Amino acid sequence: MFADCCRIIHKDLVSEFRSRRAWPAMLLVGVVAALVFSLQMDLLPHEKPRLVGGLLWVSVFLAGAAVIERSVAGERDDGCWDGLRMMPIAPGALYVAKLAVNFLALLALGCLLLPLYFLLSDLPLLSHVRALASVALPACLGLAAVGTLAAALSAGNGRSGSLLLLVAMPLVFPVILAAAECTRLAAEDRFDDAWWRWMQLLWAFAIVFVTAGTLLFDYAIEE
Amino acid sequence: MSARRSISRVAAESSVAVLLAAVVVAAALLAPREATMGDAQRIVYLHVPVAWLALLGFLAMAAGGACYLARRDLRFDHAAQAAGEVGWLGCTLTLVTGSLWAHEAWGAWWEWEPRLTSALVLWVISSGILLVRSTIDDPHRKARVAAVLAILGALDVPLVVLATRWFRGMHPVAPELDPSMRAALWISFLGLAALFAWLGECRRNQLRLGQHVAELARRSSALVGM
Repeated sequence: MFADCCRIIHKDLVSEFRSRRAWPAMLLVGVVAALVFSLQMDLLPHEKPRLVGGLLWVSVFLAGAAVIERSVAGERDDGCWDGLRMMPIAPGALYVAKLAVNFLALLALGCLLLPLYFLLSDLPLLSHVRALASVALPACLGLAAVGTLAAALSAGNGRSGSLLLLVAMPLVFPVILAAAECTRLAAEDRFDDAWWRWMQLLWAFAIVFVTAGTLLFDYAIEE
Repeated sequence: MSARRSISRVAAESSVAVLLAAVVVAAALLAPREATMGDAQRIVYLHVPVAWLALLGFLAMAAGGACYLARRDLRFDHAAQAAGEVGWLGCTLTLVTGSLWAHEAWGAWWEWEPRLTSALVLWVISSGILLVRSTIDDPHRKARVAAVLAILGALDVPLVVLATRWFRGMHPVAPELDPSMRAALWISFLGLAALFAWLGECRRNQLRLGQHVAELARRSSALVGM
């Protein structure tokens, strides 16, 4: 299974590197969203940490939705989907491979937007790099896990882009909420009991969604 | 409709009506007036049962979805949809009655408190699942997508409940109740459970008949085309 996953991940990354059709658009949308939100965030310095977390993770999910949607719809448009399904691999392995590529995309977006939001909001970044990275990992994993399953469910529908947001947005709401709270507490330099609880919740969401996605992917890709 | 079925239907509807009357009597007359909040506290006899019924509706929707995925029978999907819609109604009533209670108790219509936030999360998830249903035409595809989403949504429930235990807020958790208040709460729960079950059954029947009509229309158009 591991070798199959690696082959599909390699194929997707090489395909994206050659065509550059989804990741640049995602990064650009994310940067524009960060600039617009930060420009409008005309608040006192001590009020900014309360907003940065929510805006950051909503931007990551909305900008990343394009890449997540293309991860399955692109295969269908290019006529590769039937070939992938006929490969002698478990549907769970296909899900894990697509999830890994989407996770990498969201992580790349997070690595770009996190410093951008903190710099534009004039918040301390360098002192909290490790804490913020530990928030980004489960948050991107949870978003990618739900997003990949939602992309498979919405693919094959004429309005897969809008359907993806409709399917995924309510389910990722708790992930965005937990990630936003963790980021806010980190920005306020409060690594107390509440921060650890939100982190545990974030990891719990990520693990549950990855496991459920692996088990349910077979049903999601049925014709 | 056979005479026996119509008699049993009238009996079920009468039982629901009697139980609802018992809810009104229990909440308004049996339960004593609360010392701090006065009559406004009686909202609890609606709020607590509908919150539990919303959760049950949500879990029933996931169970119906899982049965559909296992058996591929649209009857399970109809049951899941009916349970989901009734659960959504319960969740909406929970938020509305909770907001009314909060205005009296805390002086604010809404507080970003863990239990309220978790109820809102469940409402958003169930609304999303019902909206997704309305965007897909093919009944089996709709059933499959809704089933996967309902199972994912149901997996959210224990985590959200766990979160409300971790993050203790202003919301009261299992307060000490006078025995007559406890009895009124149980009567309300039974009455509203009967109402929700009846609503769910009506909706399930409506979906089943709708499926029959669609099937007949498909067959008649095929005959006309021959």
